[in-house]
Amino acid sequence: MVLLHLKVMNKFIFILSIFFYLNAYAESTVKAGDSLIWDSENQSYTATGSVEFSNDTFIAYSDKMIAQYIEQGNKELFTIVELFENVRIELKDEVFLGDYAIYTRDDNIITLTGDVSIQSPTRLLKGHELIADIDNNKRILNSANDESLVEVLLENNENN
Amino acid sequence: MSKFLKENIFNFLIFLLLSLQAFMYYYDNKPSSKVYSQKSMSVENFSSIVLSKSGLTKIGADKLNKIDEDQFFLQGKSYLENKKYKIYGEDISINLIEEISHSKKSVQVINSMGTLEANGFKNIDSEGKIYFDGIVTFKSHE
Repeated sequence: MVLLHLKVMNKFIFILSIFFYLNAYAESTVKAGDSLIWDSENQSYTATGSVEFSNDTFIAYSDKMIAQYIEQGNKELFTIVELFENVRIELKDEVFLGDYAIYTRDDNIITLTGDVSIQSPTRLLKGHELIADIDNNKRILNSANDESLVEVLLENNENN
Repeated sequence: MSKFLKENIFNFLIFLLLSLQAFMYYYDNKPSSKVYSQKSMSVENFSSIVLSKSGLTKIGADKLNKIDEDQFFLQGKSYLENKKYKIYGEDISINLIEEISHSKKSVQVINSMGTLEANGFKNIDSEGKIYFDGIVTFKSHE
């Protein structure tokens, strides 16, 4: 009985280790068509020309990107990703378009400004500013006029 | 005495000028005792360590060509490794005074964030900046 219990515990620890390993090593990719500058003094990467940034949540395209990072232990992590000009972000079945976007890793929120739109299979929404809260699956679309506000709440249901 | 001087001053001046000219001619044509030499040196399967702003950097190449005291050309497969980055490329030029290394050939860079591939680079170590040219792909392992 004790032996069986230990075996189950070992399996549990093994599965837990794999889970933490996979979460610790999520991958981000940056592709640039023209150039990329790694500035280790200011801890940033600046990419220009048909830029593509992707992580395990979304893919973003733009003309220019500046990504800030921090050192955590022996690793470096992207904390803020800014996208400039002709921004297109693909998140599951949604496409966000805008002139400028900023993604903050801490709260997992993307904010787009400029000529913003959200495209999905069932709708197209346009505005001046979009705040996409990825963790809470919430989208807030603001118009240029502060008095008019559009908020769209999405059901957290994969089948929708 | 003064009569003698008056009669011969012209000869004296000519003598002085000729002496001066002979003196100038001698020193103008005198061979220098200094030896100027500049050797171009090359070493195969080279590796060494240099000190830069990024700390101690290990450099190596199939062949090292020393251009002068401060400039090297790492011919063939070459690398620069330190605590901040590992650069693996080909035909890398290094200027030790300006702390600049560059190449126009494909390069792979590994740092603590991930792996980067590009068609060339320019590393200005004093500024802590590396410029990558052409199509660049950077995969980070966060």
